[in-house]
Amino acid sequence: MSTPMIPRERADYSAIVDRPPLKLPGKARIVFWTIVNYEVWDIGKPMARQLLPAPTGVPLMPDVVHWGFHEYGMRVGCWRFFELFAKLGIKPTLSANARICEDYPRVAEAARDAGWEFMGHAYEQGPIHKEPDQAAMIKRTMDIMEKFAGKRPVGWLGPGLTQTLETPDLLAAAGVKYIGDWVYDDEPTTIKTTNGPLVTLPYTIELNDIPVMLIQHHNSDYLLKMAIDQFDRLYAESAHRAKFCALAIHPYISGQPHRIKYLEAIYDYVNKHDGVLHWNGEQMLDWYNQQPKAAP
Amino acid sequence: MNFPKPPVGMLPGDRVSYSPIVNRKPLKLPGKARMVVWTITNVEEWDPTQTLPRTVLTPPAGGSPMPDIPNWCWHEYGNRVGFWRLLQVYDEFKIPGVMNINGVAVSAFPEMVKACVERKWEFIGHGYTQRNMQKVENERADIKKCVGLIEKATGKRPRGWLGPGLTETWETPDILAEEGYDYVADWVLDDQPVWMKTRSKPILNIPYTQECNDVAMMLIQHHKANEFYERAIDQFEQIYKDSKDSARVMAISVHPYIMGAPHRAKYFRAIFQKIRKKKDVLFWTGSQIADWYKKVGPKAE
Repeated sequence: MSTPMIPRERADYSAIVDRPPLKLPGKARIVFWTIVNYEVWDIGKPMARQLLPAPTGVPLMPDVVHWGFHEYGMRVGCWRFFELFAKLGIKPTLSANARICEDYPRVAEAARDAGWEFMGHAYEQGPIHKEPDQAAMIKRTMDIMEKFAGKRPVGWLGPGLTQTLETPDLLAAAGVKYIGDWVYDDEPTTIKTTNGPLVTLPYTIELNDIPVMLIQHHNSDYLLKMAIDQFDRLYAESAHRAKFCALAIHPYISGQPHRIKYLEAIYDYVNKHDGVLHWNGEQMLDWYNQQPKAAP
Repeated sequence: MNFPKPPVGMLPGDRVSYSPIVNRKPLKLPGKARMVVWTITNVEEWDPTQTLPRTVLTPPAGGSPMPDIPNWCWHEYGNRVGFWRLLQVYDEFKIPGVMNINGVAVSAFPEMVKACVERKWEFIGHGYTQRNMQKVENERADIKKCVGLIEKATGKRPRGWLGPGLTETWETPDILAEEGYDYVADWVLDDQPVWMKTRSKPILNIPYTQECNDVAMMLIQHHKANEFYERAIDQFEQIYKDSKDSARVMAISVHPYIMGAPHRAKYFRAIFQKIRKKKDVLFWTGSQIADWYKKVGPKAE
């Protein structure tokens, strides 16, 4: 097998100012893309994120504290999300480990029945580099979600956005049409794979509660402040070309009692503006595929 | 204190003698100007096959699995999108740009180079790649390659140098002087330019900053975006006050992937909206600062 492509071989450098503007339908100017992440943290493995360092500084197994930290999101936090999005009439993209269909059917059914878009997010949470058979894991994930939701997902987000160099090739082979892992642009782009083109949608690791809350340790209200600043700038730029503002949230972070009001306030702010579409990834993909010439 | 000498190159104290700023002969800028601000934009091309210089997101359960595509993409966003936001600010406030660029980035991003050449920005060397100078196989060859690529793309040899992450070996200033550099900005030890000894001719150090620098503030200290503005203004006001009798230099250093993010761009703009109005503040490039200091400052020993 030949050496897999590095990112630059999949996508040439392209300056956004050199591209013709993309246009959204009607008077719409910006897409607000909400991505909710529901995961399974296997107690037999190291926990994906840690809030409280172990007393000696050395993480010990089992890590019940952080299993519980995450489990709170699935028991309590996610129901705050369901309530919010039902009230708003928004159907987010659900980036979910396929295993939630097995371990948390109650949650997965609620998302399916609310019409959320199911997006592949690996079988369970952990860096994709550690998968012994990535192709099999991708297929398994897609198959489980297809069976559960009645429709094969078209989108994919690696756990923690992780990819190996061959991941885009394997995803395209498994029928994935778009990925969120490439946070390198404000617009959708098309990248090369050995199995045909693959679309990247502008996901975010800026307006994302993991870096903002768990890594950078900002105050709870900062996600709101950052969202307003992010949205204001993109909205201003959307006077000239279609813009996309992604927001990525996790129930064990933004679903906490002290944070949920700031999340709610983000939507209050965004919805005061005209020309905002709350689309999911699949809707963005369908629109992008109808554009005369997909941007580089 | 006599610290043990390195086998090659010099200790910092052997290049620059201690000098309290209050004891120096006053420096005068042209006209009624009292201080200079220079703004440095750092453009890099990260090698996706190596450990990345900085990250925003850690992988689930920690570690540093390779390749690190999300953080590579996060940086590349600056080159595709973020840089063009910063450029609007420089254009709006007529700020002479200083492009501190990796040699490889000159080849990778011709559109950016063209935009800067058209605006007559100064290009300064920032290593051939974004790798610590201590880890570069052959430092002189690295510096030469960087010079060559900049000269070829812009038609001018770079006069200034800022090492990747400000890193130096004991010998870096010697090599830079031998390779024809006029100034370096790695030494953040003063508010005024200082002469540094090298084994050949002296080289000038221009005040750079790790304080008003978005890598330190946003990625390491994790401040809110508005703190970049707040700190720049605090820094400016103090240096402005300090410059009453003798000129000082303030640096602002940004990276397109950090301050070029939509939620941060307005705080970068707000700095210039506030300070650009001052009639007695000059907005210069590194070379302008170097040329002025060579004319009015003390001669190198």
